[in-house]
Amino acid sequence: MLELLAFIALGIAMGIVTGLLPGIHVNNLSPMLMALAVASIFAPMSLAAAIMAMTITNTFISYIPSTFLGAPEPGSELSVLPAHRLLMQGKGCEAVELAAIGCFGGLVLSVVLVLPMSLLMGPTYKMLRPQMYLLLTAVVVLMVALERSKTKIIWAITIFLLSGFLGLLSLDTNICRSDATLMPLLSGLFGVSGLLLSLKNEGKMPEQRIDNRPLEMKHHLKPICVGTAAGAVTGFFPTIGPSQGTVLAQMATRSSGSREFIVSVCSVNMAKALFSFVALYAIGNARSGAAAAVGELMEIGPRELSFLLGVALFVGGIAVILHMKLGRLAARNIGHLPYRATCIAVIASIVGLSIYYSGLVGLIILATSTAIGILPAVVNVKRTHCMGVLMLPCILYFAGMKGGVLSAFGL
Amino acid sequence: MEKITKLGLLCSLVGLAAIYAGAVHVRPSITPIAKIDNEFIGLKVIISGQVVDLRESNGHLFLTLQDNSDGAMAVPIFSSVRSQLGDSIEMLDEVQVTGEVMLYQGALEVVPEEAGDISIVHSPCLGISSIDNSLIGEPIKVRGIVDKREIVGKGNIILTLGEDGAQLAVFVPSSVAGSSNFPEVHVGYIVQASGWLQLYENELELRITGASNIKVIEAEDA
Repeated sequence: MLELLAFIALGIAMGIVTGLLPGIHVNNLSPMLMALAVASIFAPMSLAAAIMAMTITNTFISYIPSTFLGAPEPGSELSVLPAHRLLMQGKGCEAVELAAIGCFGGLVLSVVLVLPMSLLMGPTYKMLRPQMYLLLTAVVVLMVALERSKTKIIWAITIFLLSGFLGLLSLDTNICRSDATLMPLLSGLFGVSGLLLSLKNEGKMPEQRIDNRPLEMKHHLKPICVGTAAGAVTGFFPTIGPSQGTVLAQMATRSSGSREFIVSVCSVNMAKALFSFVALYAIGNARSGAAAAVGELMEIGPRELSFLLGVALFVGGIAVILHMKLGRLAARNIGHLPYRATCIAVIASIVGLSIYYSGLVGLIILATSTAIGILPAVVNVKRTHCMGVLMLPCILYFAGMKGGVLSAFGL
Repeated sequence: MEKITKLGLLCSLVGLAAIYAGAVHVRPSITPIAKIDNEFIGLKVIISGQVVDLRESNGHLFLTLQDNSDGAMAVPIFSSVRSQLGDSIEMLDEVQVTGEVMLYQGALEVVPEEAGDISIVHSPCLGISSIDNSLIGEPIKVRGIVDKREIVGKGNIILTLGEDGAQLAVFVPSSVAGSSNFPEVHVGYIVQASGWLQLYENELELRITGASNIKVIEAEDA
């Protein structure tokens, strides 16, 4: 029992590190725990609990740098703009609170949904898969059409295709290892580009209002429910990220407010994180690096799944408190930090990490994705079109055309 | 157009061109299986080899390819990809696969993403009369009429295949014979069987390792 608690504490600590540092992901630290398993020193259950604790904590904490620095982890990229908007109104603390509500609500609802989803997802996945490319194409067409004016639509298509082609070249060729490419790719499109524009605008951080009211979940039930459902569905599907899930959820509910958006993207992300483990049990496939690591440690049956869900709930309770404490600490101190220097330091750390993970190629990918990521803000269209980076390869994959398109380009 | 828009667009296009040029330079090429190690994880490769093992589970197909570098590589073909394949894959077929090298339960595998990543050249069957002791321990594929079908032990099946007067025993272990996708085989049927040639009580025998390794070519009412 003591060993288990120690590993949960270790997982929470690792989750805080991976969540706070832009560019460090759970998948980067899971191999450390796997190495302990290979050495057969500790029980696989304890190591699996540590991985679950790290995943849940990371999901909560990653919204702090994405809110205050505009530097997202993969999956939280769509929350950056609404959260940053609240930050610039002095409501960064509210953005952190909304993220806590979305994540915690998503976690509790996901646990409730595990049993029905496990039974439903296998057949539903089989049924929907052949039409998935049509569904995703419809989402893209709607996203573009919502720009309304002809010039903006042309820009939206251009940005979608540029980011889509970048995704295809970076993720589906040998230019770089696929697991090392996501970091420079998404950091450039959704992080560095925003930070560079903040530098140009001499971004001055307004005083942040600190609110110590308890979290109110009942006003956010709709985005939690829709987000969790979207996250649960995407948790079973390969290559569909939380951001696409959020776009689908937004389309389904016609919600457009910043606050609803943050809550729903956080619920999507949390549900996706949890259901990637459930997929191990329900369809026998891992849907995330962390879940794959757990799958390597032990066979997942009903008993193991219940144990992991228990750990997730226990850690969720602790992580939400840590998230709020760290978020309020950041809100209190962000105004005292030299904003420009902080942005430059974050950009420098993302550049350094890109080179560390993927070498010179990573730097070229980061520069290109940053250049594309700047375009939506300067031509005044939604940054969501940059999700072409994952959606175009996704659509081609589900349509069975990815190989053909790559061959047509001589790749 | 604002200066920053032009700059952003120009940098995007130059960057894409540079990444494209790099991607063309490192496009996957046929790699000897023995050369593939952990350094290849996350990269795409093309491997080409003979199917020396073939198993089916939940609609997925699990192949082992062996090439002349003497390396063997696991190739899982998931049901979504398998359902798009226009042709079936059999033991000893020459198969070329393009896929990403991944690590699964400590072993490397090459995972194709779509049916277009797989090309198949079927190998011909050996004549039963040409099979001799020199082939013991080798994988072979034969075709013949079922002359005899007997059940031995706890559900094992022994089929005797005949072709032009020559005969060969085909041993189907109960684990294979009992699986749901093992076809109905009766005396008089023409079947194709592939497996490993072994010596059992001084007689040559073909051992089947999976239900997909036996295929009914012509069913004749006995």
